[in-house]
Amino acid sequence: MPAQLKTAGWYRAAAFTLLGLAFSFSLTTLIRSLYGYTPLIDGAAITIVSMIAVPFFFLVGLGAFDYWFYWAAGRPTRAEDHASHGAHSWRDYFKVNTDHKVIGVQYVCTTFFFMFIGGLMAMMVRAELAAPGSQFVDGQDYNSLFSVHASLLIFLFIVPVFAGLANYVLPLMIGAPDMAFPRLNALSFWLLPIAGTLMTTSFLMPGGAFASGWTAYAPLSTTQPLGQMCFSIGVQFAGASSIATALNFLVTIITMRAPGMSFWRMPLLVWANFATSLLVVIATPFIAASQFFVLLDVALGFHFFDATIGGGRQGNVVMYQHVFWFYSHPAVYIMMLPGFGIVSEILSVKSRKPIFGYRMMAFSLLAIVVLGFTVWAHHMFVSGMQDWIRVPMMVTTAIIAVPTGIKIFSWLGTMWKGVIHLDTPMLFTLGFLTMFTLGGISGVMLAMVPFDIHVSDTYFIVAHIHYVLFGGSLFTIFAGVYFWFPKMTGRMYNEKLGKIHFWATLVFFNLTFAPMHVIGIQGMPRRVADYAQQFAAWNLAISIASFFLGLSTLIFLYNMVNSWRNGAKAESNPYRSLTLEWQVSSPPPIFNFDEIPTVVGGPYEYGVPGAVHAIMGGAKPEPVAATVGSDTESQEG
Amino acid sequence: MEAASIGTADAGHDHGEHHGPPVAHHSSTVEAQTLGMLLFIVSEIMVFGGFFTAYFFIRVVNGNPWPASGEELPQIIAGFNTAVLLSSSVTMHWALESAKHGNRRGMKLGMLATLLLGATFLTVQINEYVHLGFAPYDSAQASIFYGLTGLHGAHVFIGLTLLLFATVRVFKGHFTPDEHQGIEVPGIYWHFVDVMWVIVYLSVYIL
Amino acid sequence: MKNPRQVTRSDAIMMIGIGIIASAVGIALGLWIDWFPTAAATQATSIDTFYDVLIIISVPVFVLVTTVVLFSVFRFRMRAGEEELDGPPTHGNTRLEIIWTAIPSIIVTALCVYGASVLSEIDAAKADQIQVTAYAQQFAWDFEYTGSNGKKFLTEQMYVPCKPTTEATGEGAPCSGQQIKFDIKAVDVIHSFWIPSMRMKQDAVPGITTHTKVNPNRIGSYPIVCAELCGIGHSIMRSTIHVVTPARYTAWLAAKSAAKTG
Repeated sequence: MPAQLKTAGWYRAAAFTLLGLAFSFSLTTLIRSLYGYTPLIDGAAITIVSMIAVPFFFLVGLGAFDYWFYWAAGRPTRAEDHASHGAHSWRDYFKVNTDHKVIGVQYVCTTFFFMFIGGLMAMMVRAELAAPGSQFVDGQDYNSLFSVHASLLIFLFIVPVFAGLANYVLPLMIGAPDMAFPRLNALSFWLLPIAGTLMTTSFLMPGGAFASGWTAYAPLSTTQPLGQMCFSIGVQFAGASSIATALNFLVTIITMRAPGMSFWRMPLLVWANFATSLLVVIATPFIAASQFFVLLDVALGFHFFDATIGGGRQGNVVMYQHVFWFYSHPAVYIMMLPGFGIVSEILSVKSRKPIFGYRMMAFSLLAIVVLGFTVWAHHMFVSGMQDWIRVPMMVTTAIIAVPTGIKIFSWLGTMWKGVIHLDTPMLFTLGFLTMFTLGGISGVMLAMVPFDIHVSDTYFIVAHIHYVLFGGSLFTIFAGVYFWFPKMTGRMYNEKLGKIHFWATLVFFNLTFAPMHVIGIQGMPRRVADYAQQFAAWNLAISIASFFLGLSTLIFLYNMVNSWRNGAKAESNPYRSLTLEWQVSSPPPIFNFDEIPTVVGGPYEYGVPGAVHAIMGGAKPEPVAATVGSDTESQEG
Repeated sequence: MEAASIGTADAGHDHGEHHGPPVAHHSSTVEAQTLGMLLFIVSEIMVFGGFFTAYFFIRVVNGNPWPASGEELPQIIAGFNTAVLLSSSVTMHWALESAKHGNRRGMKLGMLATLLLGATFLTVQINEYVHLGFAPYDSAQASIFYGLTGLHGAHVFIGLTLLLFATVRVFKGHFTPDEHQGIEVPGIYWHFVDVMWVIVYLSVYIL
Repeated sequence: MKNPRQVTRSDAIMMIGIGIIASAVGIALGLWIDWFPTAAATQATSIDTFYDVLIIISVPVFVLVTTVVLFSVFRFRMRAGEEELDGPPTHGNTRLEIIWTAIPSIIVTALCVYGASVLSEIDAAKADQIQVTAYAQQFAWDFEYTGSNGKKFLTEQMYVPCKPTTEATGEGAPCSGQQIKFDIKAVDVIHSFWIPSMRMKQDAVPGITTHTKVNPNRIGSYPIVCAELCGIGHSIMRSTIHVVTPARYTAWLAAKSAAKTG
């Protein structure tokens, strides 16, 4: 066997992928022959089994499990040589790497790749909607386009890009040399391209891509062609990735903080990811369950949602929505809280002031976590669930605006009388503050049952989610990427292009999504390929604005690529920030710190004379001999 | 290229003062692996929570009798199986205690007994499926019956796989009174699987 | 030169003034925009009023945030020579934090109370009802009436009676009369029964019967829309509800009944 097939890497991954296909084919055919099913060779069954099995073969080939295989077999685990840690050339970014900084960059680049694909689909959706009637896609293809658009941007962009940014900066911020489980971290990342590939390539399936929306309501989803399985299975991989990362963050935050880094000295980004990870660990299993149900219904003929079969023991259709939204409402906070963290970091540094009401900021995060689990049925006011659930859910949903309001007002308090540096990250942060306020306001409106009865499933909802996820989440993502770009790449981004990007985004974002409020209330339902003539003018205007919005992301892309290659060298701390990630070189050394720093004060003490957050280089010598043995321990996944 | 990049890594190590990462400060009394497993179990509980939600809607909200007339669930056999699984928790605990006291024979016996009991449980469960008289595609009630017990069965299988790894390592001479995380962590998972079975058994077979 | 970070009383008055003017303009704009489709049921009137209240409360919140952001940007932005300057080390203000926790709490609670009362208003049942069963299936609506001969029949277009309250009987004439009670059933997948002009919407769910009610109050024809993604033909799943005078309704019902029995 050639050596290339023995060592972990892409050659072995390709070989194992073929092996996985052969395995799926044989397993399916064997089982079908045992049960005596005809035809013996069933393409759909083999495809479904392959979608589950082949990714594992691929990952084994790539080397994601090598260490664990050694461990499981009881072989002496190899001495930790850190060969798979850190990147020395661009090729190392395409390998299983255990360095949280490499994984962070892998995450951000991969998720932005899927953002561009998902964005392209949005452009096609808008092209179809530019005029009433059918332009260039039929109903099923149109449904596929917006379904894949939403699924990619939610599960492959917003949720994981925050995990990527936090992966990079969070261990640095708390003074840890890496995440608690570096190998699990690598695995979490590599599950993502798999999920993304499944969802994107679902267009190649017979019958087209999944077309029941990102919500995949049963029983529509259980009666769809094979492409639906790409969603059900893809979500499992994305969800597993998300849960594994969340576990890793929680354990890292709890067990690996530098000496002196008490919970009340943690930067709010760390707090935000702590809160988010709690949400992920508790809520994400519910979407896994909901997609298991769909998978079992389609692949093995179960009848969780069939109200017609087995009279007296039939299924319940509304149940799907309860299970789905018990994840998917907290998911909105999973997609927003890390952004809150980013905004807190940037506002404090760029206003040169401490965070206003630091403890309330942390408490309101936790309040959102708790309340986030009590509001799911506000997506179901017209679903046919029990009527009495509506008013309690309206109240909890409206109340969740209070901790969110606390955060917004505290950010305003942080800016007040500061010395505001209006560069690109700060502009996006301020854009977030105003746009997210609008999204929050329409959210409170939607919480009101009588109004929601009229606008649920209309373009008003489309406007609301885009104000929250684009005006909210994406603005903070852009802010965060610009803010930490010097740290991650060692280069400065182009400020001028950054500002052009911001203004283009802000203007065309509003031109695209603000009119949707109007046409939604006017009576245009969402998820339609065709619409009444009365909405034609608005839709044409929206489509034109959206194309410019799409073009504006190309400015960002050019800026990032060009600055990474040719940008000016970045200093270690260009913003005079106090938090730990800025106290090391840009990009940071391979193991983050020569010695673990000692934290002696809060992270945001700007303007406090003589304030110090941390003493670098280790304040006092650690008892080295006693802890050497646990060195590899802390690395063990 | 491969050799070159390793070469640079080594060079980097050589003139630095450190040959690896600095030792992370341990800011909690809980071991990372134990905490990770506990959090993972929280996630697992929620997966079961999703299935129990389905069970709740199909049985309670729909208001249909359970099990539907003409169907009987083998309470006695499943009860026997419950006893089997619960006793495996005891042997698991015994294995861990033996590890803590450096009793290698107890470790081996305890792990083997746990594996055997777990495998017995799975065998009985599969046998029950074969003789049950209804299939998952007959109705939603049947679907959720197979869904819950099957989900639990899958967890037994995962638990057994983890325990198998630990057992292999026990027989290769790993684990000492000071270092037995490799038994303790899968052990926690195994206890969770057992407790979860009691809940599944009570709600599906008994109530 | 005056320190730009000194916020004087006149600054505060200016901000409040700008805020009030901007809020007034925003509210006026919000009330002036013709958001909703033609109202054709009493439910629509309640919901439209409710929306106006939401606009009146929402606009000042947005104006507040935006005004503070813009004022801060103009007054507190870094000027030349301030590159090394830090802001005042303010860590918080307990009174302020209590205020901005308490006031939003009060506002949302009040909104919830109002919302709940509107909800019970639009859900209220009238004694005088006409019952119609709506069947949803990919991709069409069918409505089941009880004919004048007591037999049930199906129709694709809905007709409901409404007695004009003025002389006018044509399109747009105000009217009042019986409440229409819908029992909604789905044959295949989930659909959603929505009459935008009457503001009421209710999912059609396989396996259960859901309900909604409307009190038509305007003569005319209004679209019925499927609002829940139901597959390839979702966007063409439409029908029409015709609100007609009792005389026309009776005639229509008689014709339909005859057609069925004959």
